[in-house]
Amino acid sequence: MKLRNFPRPFIPLLALICRLTLAIIFFYAGIEKIIDPGDFAVAIYNYQLLPDCAINLSAIYLPWLEVLIAASLITGIFIRGAALISALLFLTFATALTINLVRGLNLSCGCFGASSGNISWLYPVRDLSLFCVSVFVLIYDRGWRYFFD
Amino acid sequence: MNQNNLSPKFYPAFREGIIILAVVLFIAVVFNSLRSNNLSFFGFSSTALIKEQQAKIPSITLSKAHDLYLKNKVIFIDARDPFSFEEGHIAGAINIYPDEASLHAASLKIKADHGFIFITYCDGPQCPLSKETAYALIQRGIPTVKVLVNGWSIWLTAGYPVSKGKK
Repeated sequence: MKLRNFPRPFIPLLALICRLTLAIIFFYAGIEKIIDPGDFAVAIYNYQLLPDCAINLSAIYLPWLEVLIAASLITGIFIRGAALISALLFLTFATALTINLVRGLNLSCGCFGASSGNISWLYPVRDLSLFCVSVFVLIYDRGWRYFFD
Repeated sequence: MNQNNLSPKFYPAFREGIIILAVVLFIAVVFNSLRSNNLSFFGFSSTALIKEQQAKIPSITLSKAHDLYLKNKVIFIDARDPFSFEEGHIAGAINIYPDEASLHAASLKIKADHGFIFITYCDGPQCPLSKETAYALIQRGIPTVKVLVNGWSIWLTAGYPVSKGKK
């Protein structure tokens, strides 16, 4: 294995850092939710956006989606697909948070399992920033191959 | 033109995204089936959850509620309908039906900051309205809400101050 293209590529390197940051966030968030799916289902219900029949399905599906996105971002397999889903997820989260902040509901974020704090305007701002990071990765990340032969 | 040029770049992203979604579906379903504390796919019941959460709201005894009332540290919230409220309510109480909690949340938060606690009540030991209003207020960030079970009847029987009308 030979290292190449260093230190020239600033943007691919930044994209790599963004990608790994997203991966760590998704991995932590996913694992916390997988540990206690019941609590996560309650957190989803508290947002009062989904019908009862969709709540458990989301609580089962979403944590694994986050873990697999993390795995994909780390390994470099299907990066663009993972970055696309990541962007859409953060956009959805930001929308859900904004709706409930406007409604004035005081609820636990549920972002990183049950121990997450109560929501504030900081949360949708954070999610929109991560949405931008995801789009950056989607457009600019070139995978590990760019750096290693 | 630009869109046409950009689109092919994103086709692989869509294709990869769909593959990821499908793989996740498989893993999530299999893992959920194998684990001991699994969830039933469509088995979520918001009614049961609300009941469970409402049951956790603390209640207060009549004597303690009256003590706080004398110390002017409490705001009573009448959770009954407006007609019952006008016919008679605890003196100084405000009328908040469960659905109206969001309208009052901001003003109650200010009062909570000044150290007031809130006691909801309705009429009858089985009456759900006081718990529903208390639950709705807690959800909107009001910190100290308690329930006086069968509040109107016991307050009236004890001969404590009541008033009539809209205020």
